[in-house]
Amino acid sequence: MRQLRRLAFFAAALGALASLPAAADTIKLGAVLPLTGPAAVVGTQEQRGIQYAVDEVNAKGGIAGHKIEVIFEDNQAKPDQSVLLFNKLVDLQKIPAIFTGYSGPSLAMAPLATRKKTLLVNGGAQADALDKASPYLINTIPVLAGELEVLATYLFADAGKKTAAILFENNAAGIAGRDDFLGSFEKAGGKIVAQEPVPFGDTNYRPALLKLAAAAPEVLFVVITSGTPQLADQIRQIDAKFMVAGNTFFSDPELIANPNAEGFIHTQVLINAPEGMAAAFKAKYGTEFDFFPKQYYNAATVVMSCIEKLLKDGKPITGENLRAALFEIKTFKGLTTTVFNTNTAATQINMNRITAKADTTIKVIPPK
Amino acid sequence: MLWLNLLLNGIVWGCALGMVAVSFSLIFATTRFFHVAHAAVYGLGGYITWSALKHGLPEWAALVVGVAVCAAVGAAIQKLLYERLDRSGATHLVILIASLGLSAVMQNGVAAIYTSNILQFGLPWGNRTTTIGGALLTNTQLLTVVFGLASYAGAMWFAHRTVLGKRMRAVASNPFLAEITRLQPRQVHVAVMAIGSAMVCIPGVLVPLDLGLQPFGGVPILLTATIAVIAGGVGSITGAFLLAVVIAVLQNLSLLIMPGEWSIGITFGIFVIFMLFRPRGLFSS
Repeated sequence: MRQLRRLAFFAAALGALASLPAAADTIKLGAVLPLTGPAAVVGTQEQRGIQYAVDEVNAKGGIAGHKIEVIFEDNQAKPDQSVLLFNKLVDLQKIPAIFTGYSGPSLAMAPLATRKKTLLVNGGAQADALDKASPYLINTIPVLAGELEVLATYLFADAGKKTAAILFENNAAGIAGRDDFLGSFEKAGGKIVAQEPVPFGDTNYRPALLKLAAAAPEVLFVVITSGTPQLADQIRQIDAKFMVAGNTFFSDPELIANPNAEGFIHTQVLINAPEGMAAAFKAKYGTEFDFFPKQYYNAATVVMSCIEKLLKDGKPITGENLRAALFEIKTFKGLTTTVFNTNTAATQINMNRITAKADTTIKVIPPK
Repeated sequence: MLWLNLLLNGIVWGCALGMVAVSFSLIFATTRFFHVAHAAVYGLGGYITWSALKHGLPEWAALVVGVAVCAAVGAAIQKLLYERLDRSGATHLVILIASLGLSAVMQNGVAAIYTSNILQFGLPWGNRTTTIGGALLTNTQLLTVVFGLASYAGAMWFAHRTVLGKRMRAVASNPFLAEITRLQPRQVHVAVMAIGSAMVCIPGVLVPLDLGLQPFGGVPILLTATIAVIAGGVGSITGAFLLAVVIAVLQNLSLLIMPGEWSIGITFGIFVIFMLFRPRGLFSS
C-alpha cells in the first residue's frame, strides 16, 4: 500500500514537472478557426490577430524566455470538424489553451473543454449560449444579449422607433441575435413586424429585403457576419425608407467606406489599437487591422498574461491553472479594458453612426 | 407590388442560373462527366475579369480576357485530366472524385491569391437602377437578363446550326457510333469543355458584379443548376434554362406565403415529387 502511494506521488510529481516548461521550451497553444471556406474571410483575420500578438511577444524574447507557438487548425467553421481538431490538439499535442471562433464550433467543443480541462478562448463569437456553455470556455467579447439590449433600448427610447423588422443570418449567432433583439425591443415597448433569415455566405439579400420592406418597419435590425457592403447596396437599390441598425458586425471598413451605408447605426464593442499598430499590421499582412484581428490580438494577450503569471508563480501551464490565473488577474489592460467577473468579459459598448464614410460614436455605455 | 418585385428578381436570378445550367448541360450531355469543377471555373472567370479590370482594361476587354482564360482552362481540364483518366479506364465515379479534388484545389488557390474576403467590382453603373412597372432593377440585373437570353439563344444556335454543334449532339447521342464514323469524340469533348467554360464565365462575372466575388461562391449555384439540368431533361438546353428560371422564380415567390427558412426546402421538395412522376426530366425524349 505504501509503495502504491509512493508511486502515485511520483507519478503526480512527474506529471506536474512534465507540464512545467523547461527553461527554453516553447509553449504551444492551439487555434481551431475557419481558414478555408466561406467563413475564412473572418477566420484568417482572427488568425492574423493571434499571430501578430504572439510575434510581438516572441520578438521581445518571449515570456520569461519561453517562445510562444500557436498551432492553427482549419475547421471550415464546421462543428464536427472542430471536435476532431480539438481532440487532436489536446490528446496528441497536450495543448492547454485553444482559441476558437464562431458560435457553432465553439459550442461543439465546449463539453470537451470541460471534460479535458482545456481553456477554450473565444474572441469573436457572440451567441448567448456561449456564456454558460462550459466553465472552461472564456469569452473575451460580450455575448449578443448585452449588446442588443443597448441597441433595442436606444432605438426605442432615443431614436423613437416603434416598429422593427429583423434580417438575420441563419446560424447560431444570427438566431441568437434575432431572439435577443426581439426580446429586448418588445420589452422596451416596440413591435417586431417581420423577420427573415438569409443563409450564411449568401449575399443575395434582395428577396428577403423586399419582403421585409413590404411590412413597412421604421427600422431594420440586421445581424449578419459578412457581406454587409453588398447589403448596403441592395438596401439602397430597393429604395428602402427604414433606418438600418446592426451590432458590432457593422464595423467592417468596407461597409463604413460605402456611401450606401450612410446613416446606418450600430453598437460597437469598444476596441482600439494604439497609434502605428494598425499601419504595422497592414504592412505585415496587407489587410486592415479591423475588428476581428483586434479582438483576437486582445484574446491572445489575455492568455499570454495568464501564462506569464503561472511562470512567475512556478505553476505548470495547464488549462485548469490558466483558468484560475485568469480570474485571479481579472482585469486585463489590452487593446481594451477586459474585466472577467464571469466567463464572459465585460467591456465598454458604444452606439455609432456611419456618416460621410466615417464611424462616429453618438453614445457611450460603460461596462456594467 | 411585392409579388412583381419578387417575380422580376426570380427571373433575373433564373437567367444567371440558366447560363450555368446550359453550360453544364452542354458538357454533361456530351462527355457524361459530372464536371463539378465547373463551379471553380465559374469562380475563376469572375476573379480573372476583376484582375483585368484592376489592371486598367475596359469592361468589355476584361470580360473577353475572363472568357478566354476560362475557355483555355476548361479545355486543359478535359485534355490533361478527364481524357487521361478516361483513357486509363477510370470509371465516371473516379472522374467525379478527381473533379471534386480539382475544384477544391482551384477554389482554395483563388482564396490564397485573392484572399477569402468578398471583393467588389466597384463599377458605379452596375448599381444604377431603372423602374420597370413599379419594380426597381439595377443595370447589372438587366444585363444578366440580356446575357441570359442571348446565351440560351446562342447555345441553341450552336447545337442545332453549326457543324461542331451537330457533331456534339451526335457524340452525346451515341459515342461509340461517333467513334467509328470518325467524328473524333475526344476532340469534340475538348471543344465542348472550352465552350461550356467560356459560357459559365459570363454569370461568373455578372453575379459577383451584383453580389460580390467569393472564392467558394460557385458551389451553391452549380448545385441548383445541376438540379435544373436533371429536372429539365439531360441534354435539353431549353429544359435546363427553363427549369433554372422556374426554380429561381419559385424560390422568390414562395416568400409570399412562407418564411425564407422553408423556401429552398419546399422548392426542391416539389422537384423531388416531380422527378418521381417524370424521372427523365421535363424535356426528355
